[in-house]
Amino acid sequence: MATAVRDKASAVIGKLKSLILGTGDRNISRIRRRRKLTALLWKSLPALIVTLLSAGYFWMLAIPLPQLGQRTYIDENALQPGQVRTYWDWADVHRADQYLEGLEQLRGRNASSDEIAQHIATEFEKIGIPASTQRYSFSTTAGVTNGTNAYAVRSSPRASGAEAMVISASWISRTGEGDGTLNLRGVSSVLALANFLKGYSLWAKDLVFVISDGYLDGMQAWITSYHGVPQSNMWAEPLELSSGVVWTALNIDYPGHSFSHLGVFFEGLNGRLPNQDLINSLFVITRHTAAVPVVVYDHMDPHEFPGIKADLAGIPEWVPGSLRENDDVVEYGYRAKNILRHANYQARGQASGVHGLLHQFRIDAITLFAVPAAGPHGFHAIGRIVESTLRTTNNLLERLHASFFFYFLVGTHTFLKVGMYLPSAVLISTALMFAGLRAWVEAGWVWERAAPEPEAGADDKAGTGEKKGGPDQLKGRWVTRRRPVLKPLGIMLATHAAGALLFFTITQPWFVAHQEAYAVPVFALFSALSFAPLLLSPPSSSSPSAEAPLPLLLRALTLCLASTVTSIISVLNFSLAASLALTLGIPLTLAAPAHSLPARLGKGALYACLALGWLVLAPGEVRRAVWNWEVLRVWFAPFVCVVYTPLMLQAAVVNVLPP
Amino acid sequence: MLSGWLFNVCFFLSVLAARTVALHAEQFDEELTLRPLRDGKLAARFSFTTLLKGVAPRNPERLDEDDDSQHYTLFPLALGQILREYAVTEMHLTLNAGNWAYDRWGYPDDLGVSTGAELWAWMGEGGPVTVDDRWKGLRNALAGLFCASLGSLDEQRTTSPALTFQPEGSLPRWNASHQLRHATLPSEHVCTENLTPFLKLLPCKARSGVAMLLNPHRLFDADWHGLGVHVRYLDAGVEVRLAFQAVFDPVRLSSDKRRDWSLRSVFDRTIDRACPVARSSEVRVELLPDSAYAITPDPSEIDGNRATYAVKDRTEPLDVAMRWPGEEAFQYPIEAAPLSPLSVRRTLKGSSQSDAQLSVVIRNNLPVQVRSSYLETMPWLVEFYLHTLHADIGGVPRDDLVSVISYTAPVPHTRPTLFQAILTLPPKTTLHLTMDVTKTFLRYTEHPPDAQRGWDLPPAVLIPFDFGEDPIQNHTTSPGTSAKYARPARPRRIYTSVLLVDLATPDFSMPYNVIIMSCTLIALIFGSVFNLLTRKFVLVRLDGDSAEQKPDVK
Repeated sequence: MATAVRDKASAVIGKLKSLILGTGDRNISRIRRRRKLTALLWKSLPALIVTLLSAGYFWMLAIPLPQLGQRTYIDENALQPGQVRTYWDWADVHRADQYLEGLEQLRGRNASSDEIAQHIATEFEKIGIPASTQRYSFSTTAGVTNGTNAYAVRSSPRASGAEAMVISASWISRTGEGDGTLNLRGVSSVLALANFLKGYSLWAKDLVFVISDGYLDGMQAWITSYHGVPQSNMWAEPLELSSGVVWTALNIDYPGHSFSHLGVFFEGLNGRLPNQDLINSLFVITRHTAAVPVVVYDHMDPHEFPGIKADLAGIPEWVPGSLRENDDVVEYGYRAKNILRHANYQARGQASGVHGLLHQFRIDAITLFAVPAAGPHGFHAIGRIVESTLRTTNNLLERLHASFFFYFLVGTHTFLKVGMYLPSAVLISTALMFAGLRAWVEAGWVWERAAPEPEAGADDKAGTGEKKGGPDQLKGRWVTRRRPVLKPLGIMLATHAAGALLFFTITQPWFVAHQEAYAVPVFALFSALSFAPLLLSPPSSSSPSAEAPLPLLLRALTLCLASTVTSIISVLNFSLAASLALTLGIPLTLAAPAHSLPARLGKGALYACLALGWLVLAPGEVRRAVWNWEVLRVWFAPFVCVVYTPLMLQAAVVNVLPP
Repeated sequence: MLSGWLFNVCFFLSVLAARTVALHAEQFDEELTLRPLRDGKLAARFSFTTLLKGVAPRNPERLDEDDDSQHYTLFPLALGQILREYAVTEMHLTLNAGNWAYDRWGYPDDLGVSTGAELWAWMGEGGPVTVDDRWKGLRNALAGLFCASLGSLDEQRTTSPALTFQPEGSLPRWNASHQLRHATLPSEHVCTENLTPFLKLLPCKARSGVAMLLNPHRLFDADWHGLGVHVRYLDAGVEVRLAFQAVFDPVRLSSDKRRDWSLRSVFDRTIDRACPVARSSEVRVELLPDSAYAITPDPSEIDGNRATYAVKDRTEPLDVAMRWPGEEAFQYPIEAAPLSPLSVRRTLKGSSQSDAQLSVVIRNNLPVQVRSSYLETMPWLVEFYLHTLHADIGGVPRDDLVSVISYTAPVPHTRPTLFQAILTLPPKTTLHLTMDVTKTFLRYTEHPPDAQRGWDLPPAVLIPFDFGEDPIQNHTTSPGTSAKYARPARPRRIYTSVLLVDLATPDFSMPYNVIIMSCTLIALIFGSVFNLLTRKFVLVRLDGDSAEQKPDVK
């Protein structure tokens, strides 16, 4: 009985097996199955590439969706934000006003940097904190930048001086990315805070007060001197006072008369971000200790102003009214605005404030930006916020390491983890890789129509000529051909070398001085490079059946390189990788030689514009990127010249070359 | 009857023996020195000295014999037992919090101001137990006695810089020589749990005498504070000195930012009664000659710039107070000259996790040339590249100013670095000393629980010892300055600040992710290699493919 059941069961299983796996020799059916799958994959590869590309682009569009993201939280238990009673009171506000008066007098009589720094250092000395000044100068292709920093080091009671916190303010506010608005109230806040914080013995770390000159240059001189990192184009006096390792820093930017909201800026050089715990602590403290509304950057939260919420969220006028008022649309617009601002700083590697210069030395730093308004907050609020935040960071026993270092802060309460946005760029780079591999396979095989007399000679020449289909598919057969990679690799190397030359050119004083005059010739010269292979390369001697055509090979290698670069950059600086994926994705997959010469030339010119158009169209951006590279060591300018432009030029060459 | 007689004899003998030990005269002196500082602060130094007359430290060669019995009335027994158990001749333990500002405060009254814990001892060699074993026992016993983590002052932190830490007393003339053991623990925190056992060692505890002022609430709020235990052998006997130093900030304590102080305002206590067993009990106040001050009550004695109060003579509670009636709020001195002969600033430059540069900036504040010894003791975590040691003055290389270098290379996981040199400092100049260091890559089990904090490195020690003749001494306006430094009673140590170094630290928050990831990779690699190695390759003929023989993999 039992055996009968068992037999029956095994018969059923056997039938199922043969249904799925096929009958006959297991190995033969396996090989068949594998071939079928390969053929299917090959057939659907173009569709797969399109799917991956569109999935990547749609994912990017979906990042600001209100449904995504999670609430922020404090991960490091030591921080305990907002758990202390603050002592900053109106007497300290009065003192800040007095300091402000002194600074306004300096501004009124147009005092020099030296004079201002000396004045500030003396004020610190009067408080009883050792202070000093530091003169510096940067020589860039655009000229020489001079200035004088003032700084003071308060050795905290009982502290060993091995750890320190920095409280800084730059002389020029970050308003308009350093357009010259003075940060007088920020500086007076730091002075008044120095006087106030000295009265307490609860500090476990030294307090370092820095009033840096200029917008970014002063702090760069100070922080590199503090860490003893030499910079070839910088001269700076060595620091006369020192303290220990700096873990956290707060930069105060208070340009207006009063402020309505406290904004936070956090992007650092080369796309570095501070630990999210610091930002979250500041938000908690600002809301609960000082009762000041907080915003990301200086973007007002549309939910706070229902009347103009669509305008605040940056939703264009042409969107129909019902959509403009929809909460989800408004939230999407607000988040998109924050993400774009973030990506704009991060992709260009630009610091969104003075704090950004500290990240390179593993200092978690943010800028507190008092959004200028008619009221109602002032020194009283900013003092309490900074006092409480300092006491929070004072609690740290270790560096901030819990929380997140990769995130999108889409709102004051919400953030996106790296896993929620990273796949978008990676999908696009996968599509590029698949397209590249497809081109590589295409370059290696050619479909040869069956001639009445099979050309045995060609077969012999190819060496390993083989039929791919069975004998019944005698319409043609796949023949391998040689893939000479030396030439395309040479072209790629040449474009990258041209990129390096381009970078060398735009960092020359003569170029920077007469940018308007030279931009067009330089653009024309380097664009012409993409047409050079047309003249240089001799017409292919061997037939396409024996040797893969040059544009196809070049296209395969370019796509693979672009994909690799994008994937690697995506884990270092997502915004840069996303912009690279956006700009390279479609042009590179579409690059292919046209049949007629005018079409080829036209396409080549278009791609050359894509590669080098920024030279002519964005002269201000070029100047800023070069300055950022020379003074702050921001990699954006060399990256564009040596990675982006050559890749696009390679695509241009693909278009220009005869098929 | 006989047994009763014997018992009587024994009893009599033992009493006699006790008497003879107790007859060691013990004398106890206590003293409080108060020193108003230039920057409005007040330095206080408590010193409690017990002298055990006519006694020598235990000879380590007799460690296997029974020791003399110890019967003390004033001498701290708990400490005495440790000293005799491990045959320690001289010992100095300091537990300090804060960074002594030599420039603004001058030399401290007690020289041991190294941040954190510092222990050094001179011990005789020979006998059944080695010096290192006794050193280990000593630090563990002291750790227990003072509730401090002195047990971590192990071989990885112990050095023997005998030139810098000369014995302060004398060493008994035994057959074998004496050895120094020295270790620091910069990350040690000092608090009430260390003060309580410290007070227990005093004959009057904190109940009377100047020790009444040792109020932990106020002491541990001071800008700088530290306690020290100093044992040395003098010709008269063994001396134990318990010391507590603190620097208070009366300006911070006062509501209207004045520097006036009184014992009541600083310690929140007064001296109500004298310690009855103390031979002398004094409060000394150093007076600032160039300011209009008032001091109450009237001192028992004024000697030059020093007012002395004898606590024993007083009947009512003593509350010394000093006021500056002419001052509204205290004005901090701006750009005042440093008070110490040398100003030292030591930092670790660089931003990478693999190497850094040790930078020491030493300014000679005197108008005469100064020669100074320089000592670095580094745990093996940080290794020096000795060939990169460079000295320069204002950018001009002056490697000739560094001489007599002695260097003991570190042994990873075992022994620290010891670096000593003699520096010659020209008058009124700043010497920059730089040396490249490499940071070790630690095993992951060697990281402490707070791995992201980094590692505290001990301070360097400088001893200016040779003050040159001032060529223009006759013309200088204040010849006293150099003359004062030129003939110091004994060379005085200057400690630099401690350092914190970041080593490459793994992300301990995600060990499981790392384990899973690496295991997956290993499994994948192993699986493919194993598959290829054990697979049999045969020819398979596909149906209808008979014209061709397609090699395929089974």
